[in-house]
Amino acid sequence: MKKRDFSQLRSMWSEFRRIKFGMVGLALLGMFVVVVLIEPLIVPFPDAATRWRDMTYWVDNPRNAKPAWVNWFTSKDYAPSARIQSDNIVSGEFGAGKLYQAELPYKYSWDKAPSDVTLRMNVTGNARYEAEFIRPDGLSVTYQKTSQGAGTRDLRISVAQNLQPQLYQFAGKYEDPRVMQSTSASTINPLAVLFSQAEKGALLSGSKPLDGTYTVRVKVVAADATSSLNEAELIVAGGVQGVLGTDNMKRDLWSGLIAGTKWALIIGLLTSFIAVVVGVIYGVTSGYYGGFVDSLMNRIYEIFSSVPLLPILIVMSAVFKPSIWIMIAMMCIFFWVGPVRTVRSIALQIKEASYIEAARGLGASNRRILMRHMIPQLVPYAFASMALSVPGAIVYEASISLIGLGDATRVTWGQILQAAFSSGAVLQGIWWWVVPPGVAIALMGMTFAFIGFAMDTILNPKLKTR
Amino acid sequence: MSEPILVAENLTKWFPVKRNLTQVMKGNRTWVRAVDRISFTINKGEIFGLVGESGCGKTTTGKLIMKLLEITDGTLEMKGENATHLRGAALEKYRREVQMIFQDPYSSMNPRFTVRDVLMEPLEIHKVGKDAKEREVWVREILDEVKLSPPDEFLVRHPHMLSGGQRQRAATARTLMLSPSIIVADEPVSMIDLSTRAEILHMMRQLQREMGLTYVYITHDLSTARYFTDRLAVMYLGKIIEMGVAGSVIDRTLHPYTKALIAAVCEPVSGKVNRIKDVPIKGEIPAATNIPPGCRFHPRCLYAVEECWQEEEPTLDDIGGGHLVACRRWAEIERLGAAARTSEASLGTRKSSFAPSA
Ligand code: SF4
Repeated sequence: MKKRDFSQLRSMWSEFRRIKFGMVGLALLGMFVVVVLIEPLIVPFPDAATRWRDMTYWVDNPRNAKPAWVNWFTSKDYAPSARIQSDNIVSGEFGAGKLYQAELPYKYSWDKAPSDVTLRMNVTGNARYEAEFIRPDGLSVTYQKTSQGAGTRDLRISVAQNLQPQLYQFAGKYEDPRVMQSTSASTINPLAVLFSQAEKGALLSGSKPLDGTYTVRVKVVAADATSSLNEAELIVAGGVQGVLGTDNMKRDLWSGLIAGTKWALIIGLLTSFIAVVVGVIYGVTSGYYGGFVDSLMNRIYEIFSSVPLLPILIVMSAVFKPSIWIMIAMMCIFFWVGPVRTVRSIALQIKEASYIEAARGLGASNRRILMRHMIPQLVPYAFASMALSVPGAIVYEASISLIGLGDATRVTWGQILQAAFSSGAVLQGIWWWVVPPGVAIALMGMTFAFIGFAMDTILNPKLKTR
Repeated sequence: MSEPILVAENLTKWFPVKRNLTQVMKGNRTWVRAVDRISFTINKGEIFGLVGESGCGKTTTGKLIMKLLEITDGTLEMKGENATHLRGAALEKYRREVQMIFQDPYSSMNPRFTVRDVLMEPLEIHKVGKDAKEREVWVREILDEVKLSPPDEFLVRHPHMLSGGQRQRAATARTLMLSPSIIVADEPVSMIDLSTRAEILHMMRQLQREMGLTYVYITHDLSTARYFTDRLAVMYLGKIIEMGVAGSVIDRTLHPYTKALIAAVCEPVSGKVNRIKDVPIKGEIPAATNIPPGCRFHPRCLYAVEECWQEEEPTLDDIGGGHLVACRRWAEIERLGAAARTSEASLGTRKSSFAPSA
């Protein structure tokens, strides 16, 4: 690019700065770009983009947890998700093997028990282990098990799944026997029992939470010298988690949404860039050559512009199961018509200027006239046109994804929405699964619409309100 | 001195008129006869004027010389070589020989270019000079030549930062970049301030002398044509109707149309300035699609007699001294003119009621 082209953009920028909504759009765009750049720093699950559909990645999360900030608006607070790592595993001789001990304290001060508490232990070799859940009031529940096997692996003791019998028994000591008879170990909520005061009427319903520090004391007896306890961690799957909660597959929606930002930008910018470049060159060529070439190019343009894009995309997606790149390519095939008409009319106008004739008189080739004299003048319009076609591309991708035909290997906002709809999130009231991706799509669209309209205002004096 | 450089023989340009469907079906084709079989010779080192009203075909002639339009019929010869239809290398060579200054200095330069870009362009197109540095040295020389100095100041300016006169100087500089032989100047001063016109023309003339250029000066303005040109051709409806040495054409005007043109010129003579002219012509210029039979000027000619439209069109004949005229009654008209001049005093008094008391 020559200096001249920069000066042209600079003057455009000085005008742009005066348009408020344009600056708002630019600020939003800046925000999106920053979000993409610092993505690993602001999401709790940095692999969300690549392992979105990998169940094992999400296993310790609560299911359908609300966003953490829901607590600000409710009278009864949900326990948020937490992780307590043991920083101190004590080991000592124990017969032929070793005895490992660790304590994991968890401070609880909420109204609604977490949806699960899981003890994760990383062990090697054969081990007999014992986990004692000690409540603030001194009462405790113990779980014992022997695990045999070679190699290093994670062992998980989930309160919800493994401690039901123990906690049923525990409740039986305090609750009304008649009430106990009407329930069974598999129907009680073990978490409610664990986190409530040992009083009649309160244990099973969990209506009186017991605040204080809960301690999980872990004892692992390693049977031989090759066995060991490497790590112990307490994972509290809360009723609320993170910025945007989780979905019914335990996925952290905030991480997904941020991972989707990148794709929205890529889809929007790449599609509009390719489409506008093609459209501008097409329009200029058509306008410049005129005559037969122009008529032919106009016919082709009309065919493309009168074909409804969405049905075609749907059919093609259904047939090909496309990757995101193929979808971008397919959108480009139809999006390039956007700027053609305007560009052609601008080209017709420029073509009549006597400096074009002067250039021809100097012996300039058609290519040179197009590239040096005509296209540079269309650069500002091309930018505006790009900005204006970004929202369309994003919405089309989302629409295709929403009906389940998108690229299932990526996390896009459309994909998140699709999963929400197909699992009935709306009917179940899981609004935090539906609203954020919707808002994100709207916001991204708005960003580029603002920028595009601002540029349009500069280029179209008729629209200027000043 | 009079070595021909450009010879046009029966040069013709017809433009097709857009037809509607029925006309296409009927096979009717109408043509605008913008330039209708004109012949002229331009000598090396002279300034050849093409004069006429707008729409007379003078600009089209200029563009035919420039090869911006295809020649419909006739031949064009440049330095003794046929240049009617050129392609490829021959066309490129021709383009280096013939350059053009356009009428509108405001649109003849790309508004996004700087003067440097404008002047570099011909060199880039024809790959003159081995690099940008060498080209710039040449650009600076030419800027000096057209009196746009200091060059540093003008090189970085965009056309809109120049006055009309400066733009026309820059446009002239562009034509000089390739050291051409012929420069077609299409109304180069009609759109710039009166005060700078003479200056520009003076500069052009100086350049012509220094560089041995040949100009084709296209204008509707007989007064600058007289001041500036060596030889003149007056065009009417695509045809040359009078041609000759500038002084002779203007002082010994023979064709009624040329007379009308001269009469229409404002004469900056005290007492005559604001006089409403009694222009010896009637009607409007007819459409070029429908050229009158016989002498094409007859509907507007005050001297027309029946034979003017009954007979063949008069040819452009030499009446001696290299003065050519296409009128069958030129001899009678000259005699009448001599008689009329004696009665001019009475004409003056008749019109004086319209004049401010000077
Ligand atoms: S030929 Fe007849 S009509 Fe034509 S200019 Fe001469 S006098 Fe007029």
